[in-house]
Amino acid sequence: MCGVFGVLGKNNKNSKVVVLNALSRLNHRGPDAWGVYVNNALGLGHTRLSIIDIQDGHQPMDSDIGIISFNGEIYNYIELRQELIAQGYTFKTNSDTEVILKLYESIGTRCFEKLNGEFAILIWDKKLERLIAARDRYGIRPLYVLLRNESYFFSSEMKAFDTLDNYKREIDPQNLFEHGLLWNTLADNTVYKDILTIESGTFETFNIEGRIAKERYYQVGESFSVNDSADSFVNAKKAFKALLNDSVSLRLRSDVPVGTYLSGGIDSTIISQLVKNQTNHTFKTFSVAFNDQNLDESEFQKLASKKVNSVHHEVKISNRDVDNNLLKTIYHAERPIFRTAPVPLHLLSNKVKETDTKVVLTGEGADEILFGYDTFKELKILNEWKSSNGDSAAIEYLKELYPHLSHYADARQFAFIKMYYEGFLNDFENEFNGLNIRLANNKIIEKYFNKNLGLKFDKTALLDKFKTTLPANYTSWSLLQKNSFLEIKTLLQGYLLSSQGDRMAMSNSIEGRFPFLDHRVVEMAFSMPDDYKLKGFDQKYILKQAFESEIPKEITNRPKRPYMAPDLIAFIDSKGQLSDLASTLLSEECIEEYGLFDTKIVKRFLNKFKNGVPENTGYRDNMIFMFLLTSQICQYWINNPPEVELDMNKCVVDILDI
Amino acid sequence: MSNAVTLEKILAFVVDTYMVEIEEIPLDESLIDEGIIDSFGLIELASFLEKAFIIPITDTDLTRDNFGSVNKMIALVHRKKSNA
Repeated sequence: MCGVFGVLGKNNKNSKVVVLNALSRLNHRGPDAWGVYVNNALGLGHTRLSIIDIQDGHQPMDSDIGIISFNGEIYNYIELRQELIAQGYTFKTNSDTEVILKLYESIGTRCFEKLNGEFAILIWDKKLERLIAARDRYGIRPLYVLLRNESYFFSSEMKAFDTLDNYKREIDPQNLFEHGLLWNTLADNTVYKDILTIESGTFETFNIEGRIAKERYYQVGESFSVNDSADSFVNAKKAFKALLNDSVSLRLRSDVPVGTYLSGGIDSTIISQLVKNQTNHTFKTFSVAFNDQNLDESEFQKLASKKVNSVHHEVKISNRDVDNNLLKTIYHAERPIFRTAPVPLHLLSNKVKETDTKVVLTGEGADEILFGYDTFKELKILNEWKSSNGDSAAIEYLKELYPHLSHYADARQFAFIKMYYEGFLNDFENEFNGLNIRLANNKIIEKYFNKNLGLKFDKTALLDKFKTTLPANYTSWSLLQKNSFLEIKTLLQGYLLSSQGDRMAMSNSIEGRFPFLDHRVVEMAFSMPDDYKLKGFDQKYILKQAFESEIPKEITNRPKRPYMAPDLIAFIDSKGQLSDLASTLLSEECIEEYGLFDTKIVKRFLNKFKNGVPENTGYRDNMIFMFLLTSQICQYWINNPPEVELDMNKCVVDILDI
Repeated sequence: MSNAVTLEKILAFVVDTYMVEIEEIPLDESLIDEGIIDSFGLIELASFLEKAFIIPITDTDLTRDNFGSVNKMIALVHRKKSNA
């Protein structure tokens, strides 16, 4: 795992200085070594966390045809290398980096579709004098682009741009609002002005004049065909299990120790079990535990650890820990978050680092591809409710939703829930059913923005924009397949893989690997009939059936619970006193200075908690508080970027090619 | 209690609890569908109506006919009051 940086343009006299300054801000992504390459048009940099071919494999890596700076892992590099050797290619290192370079030499930009893994890649083609910027299929590794003064800047993290002369990042209020609505910005937007992201599954080509082309090499559901006859459940279960096993096997390729995260849920337990099956040594597992018993899942984590016979480590999180570490968490996440769940993961990766482990396998992606979220249940219920004209027994299943919310539990409240969901029946025909509930819950944030920004919630415009990002075969998919796509494109990419995934692991130089996000696994799951994944209202059915005999029943049978950490109560005590962080950044002066939000409304909102946080505080108040506070923190880091020194002794590549 | 007083009390609660201005509150539209309250907000609203107007709200009252807009809630309060 690593950090990449590049600058391309006509006015690159000080490229090396620009690259070195930028690399200092990417040091946490790759503390083991760094390198730089400069020619007349281009400056390329790399910070390295050594995982495969530790001795060699330094970057940027040079060859006759090109030079590469690459962040990520290519798990099928051994097979690709053998194919290339058979074609007559020779290799100087055992690294996956050199495989990408040679594969590019062999088949050009078609190389990306051959890679199994996660990556952000910058390749300079010496002959064509073009820079290719590519990103993995699901956006696991980040890659951003900034256009400024006729130069393009590329970076793994946006904070590196803060080192550019006379440049200051600026929050784009419209994009911030969009992020607040969807938990992600659409297409290639970010919450910052002029900073774009290379979209997942695409690569872009640039020359000294600017961007030449943008091409998509992968889209979720690309291999799905409605004409395919479904394999029998038994065969599908067997095939899926074998493929997931192979995905784990590939992701155990590493020259350093690999551990796993255990959440206490089914996905990470299965991944840990597969690791156990494939390794002949004891491995380490890591978990987040909470002082708050309502959030704590350590009972199940310990059960899973015992089953796989791991050396288990846990980090116990208090409310104070969340408050103390939010500022740093947002420094790494670089965007607002809506719940504090990333904070414990930032602290967990620190624990991983302390045990000399560099790589962890986790269960991310299973809920999206196997219909594990309650949004899938909600849609199924609404669909049957709608088609039965309000007389379906399916309505009763509303009671099964969100058992962790106490107010959903008793019978009287059922009427409230029914009333709430009824509203969505009227708006059930558009192509984005899965987003209706999220948008309805989140659009209230419009009221909190500074009125001078003129932001208005326009659902039609937002959905029209979303439509431009859809694949051609989207309309042929089922309701739940569409929701799977939407979850992958919003929550997974914008939040789970970035704010909660890559950034929290990399904040302590730890690499996360995600066996459920092997594209073969995703595509196989996508093509299965819906009821293999959501059987009645039994979520991730095929996964549970496939591993029924291998993981503890207590874990398979427990109700699904989202991983959560303390939100409001971590920042407001029982007397209504705000923590130092919250009182400073949500003060009238600070809200006014940063200009993002309405001082009067924020004050009125905080006044709700003047006697402490009420016991039954709902999703919305927690979400709004975290969005306000973490948006303010984003602006704080823009105004106060930290100085980081690059260790000059760790330079391993320094090429001047002029 | 007049309709105007009931309206004023309900609007004041919505303004203080859900951070909207009075002129932004529709009287004939659902506060849920307008995004002003979520499912939890419905529970808060029902509890507020019970306490502020000293009326019992039963399970069978919990329908959109009674909670589907501010005006419908006013009608509910007055019906309950007149039945008391």
